Amino acid sequence: MKGETLYRLLADNLPRRAEKIALIDAGRQVSYAGLMTEVDRVASWLVGQGVAAGDRVIVHVRKGIDEVAAMFGALKIGAVVVNVNVQWTPTQLAYVAGDCRASAAILGTTGAAGALPAHLPLLIREGKTLPSGAALWDDLAETEVAEFASEPDSLAMIIYTSGSTGMPKGVMLSHRNIRIGALAVAEYLDLSEDDRLLSVLPYSFDAGLNQLTTMLLMGGTVVHQPVAMPSEVIRMAALHAVTGIAGVPPLWNQIARYLRDAPTPLPALRRITNTGGKIPPDILPLLPQVFPGARIFLMYGLTEAFRSTYLPPERFAAKMGAIGQAIPHAQVFVVKPGIGPAGPGEQGELVHAGPLVSMGYWERPELTAEKIRPCPELASLIGDTPVVWSGDLVRVDADGDLWFVGRMDDMIKTLGFRLSPTEVEDLVSKSGLVTDVVAWGVDDAELGQAVHIAASLGPDATEGAVMAHCRKTMAHYMVPRRIHPWPGAMPRTASGKLDRPAIITACKALL
Amino acid sequence: MPLTSAALIHYLHDDLNIDQEIAPETELFSSGMLDSVAMTNIIMYLEETAGIVVRPADVTLENFDTVKAIVDYAHAGA
Repeated sequence: MKGETLYRLLADNLPRRAEKIALIDAGRQVSYAGLMTEVDRVASWLVGQGVAAGDRVIVHVRKGIDEVAAMFGALKIGAVVVNVNVQWTPTQLAYVAGDCRASAAILGTTGAAGALPAHLPLLIREGKTLPSGAALWDDLAETEVAEFASEPDSLAMIIYTSGSTGMPKGVMLSHRNIRIGALAVAEYLDLSEDDRLLSVLPYSFDAGLNQLTTMLLMGGTVVHQPVAMPSEVIRMAALHAVTGIAGVPPLWNQIARYLRDAPTPLPALRRITNTGGKIPPDILPLLPQVFPGARIFLMYGLTEAFRSTYLPPERFAAKMGAIGQAIPHAQVFVVKPGIGPAGPGEQGELVHAGPLVSMGYWERPELTAEKIRPCPELASLIGDTPVVWSGDLVRVDADGDLWFVGRMDDMIKTLGFRLSPTEVEDLVSKSGLVTDVVAWGVDDAELGQAVHIAASLGPDATEGAVMAHCRKTMAHYMVPRRIHPWPGAMPRTASGKLDRPAIITACKALL
Repeated sequence: MPLTSAALIHYLHDDLNIDQEIAPETELFSSGMLDSVAMTNIIMYLEETAGIVVRPADVTLENFDTVKAIVDYAHAGA
């Protein structure tokens, strides 16, 4: 053992698993030893550009073997990986490169190069005409580079999140955060060396990254699927006999509908996992039908604390939609502001303490101090240990399992009731008439706030039919006062969540 | 109204804000240019514009990876 670094998660597989297949792309696969060779080629280029430990390196490469090699090349020399989602625009990429003061960038294609500062050293995976001074991956030498022994508590990666307001901000994760995240998730998902996980979610997203790190920890295999099309995801899963698939609600929504229409046996599949929001209630019961042999894990995480809770699959049938309890190594509490911990049947804000708590936001100390700070309501339990304040309102049930209620800021106050937009959205979704729906409150002289919804109507659905469904299934105070029909699908953030502020702002602008 | 390649390319540029050049044979999904959110939008656009119902099982690279494939698929289903 040469220390507890993120790089060691990969390197400790050698020499024992040198010949084992580590990663599989659509037309290519690589062993652990082969991957290390690619890692060294990238690392030696970075050293040649003068990149040193602690410097930030942008990785903007499509999901695949090269992306992983780029990340671990930077990690080997102690540099900090800033993986920017390939779906992000050149403008967003340029913003991130400037904000993190990147020392080099590794790009999949030349497409985004023009947006970056001219002095930034570039390594390009594929391109016919290169910007002057840029290096081409295929020209890199196979030179072994010395490993830098990063401190476990030092910065390993910055994950930029496209916040609902303002420019993206970078969440700083230490080597320890990511390693303990891998240990915790591998434990509760019961992962082993013979697992093959299908990776669809980006490595620039905590849950996507965690799939890779758990497989490196266990010495398993990751199968890459960069095309998030349900037919392609399922084809790849069947072809490579994957044992696990991780997704976010919009992906499960499409996959469940696809498999209902085109059932496909996946005999090797052991588990599916969801994170990044609630799966609509009309889709949840479909999952056990279309994935008959798989255990279903509903999980919850916020980037600032990496991963937080999960619902054990044995409780899925009884508690469809719950987010369960703290994952191993994490301390998760629910607090009533100014009072103390919430008990069974009560609601409060989810807070997270322990070794998964991130290092805060890159070069934004005020924002960090606001988000990660001691919790006086828990002083008797954990003293002044800093916790991440999630801003998420959850309910605690009689068994101590947690249920997501809504964002604290989003609660609607109408007719003296405190109403969660999620509750309205779930009931509207159950009509089967809408594909996306968002609810919010609009100030109203008589009601306090009036419930409005924006809805993408499905084929043959009408506003009248949606309203009739609402009046039939909702308590009177929940029934929307107004429907804003949304043309087409709604905008989503890079992690696949509905971009609520953008949707609400657009509807308000039309009032 | 029958769907045309020109109309679909216009939609991709103007409504989905795709910056890159798109020709009828440009690979949209296998190249990584478009994601699952864009796919959902294209399906709804087809259902509205071409008046067809897109079955989930039809959403394959064969039918959806290029503008030409999408237009052919829409015509076959109309």
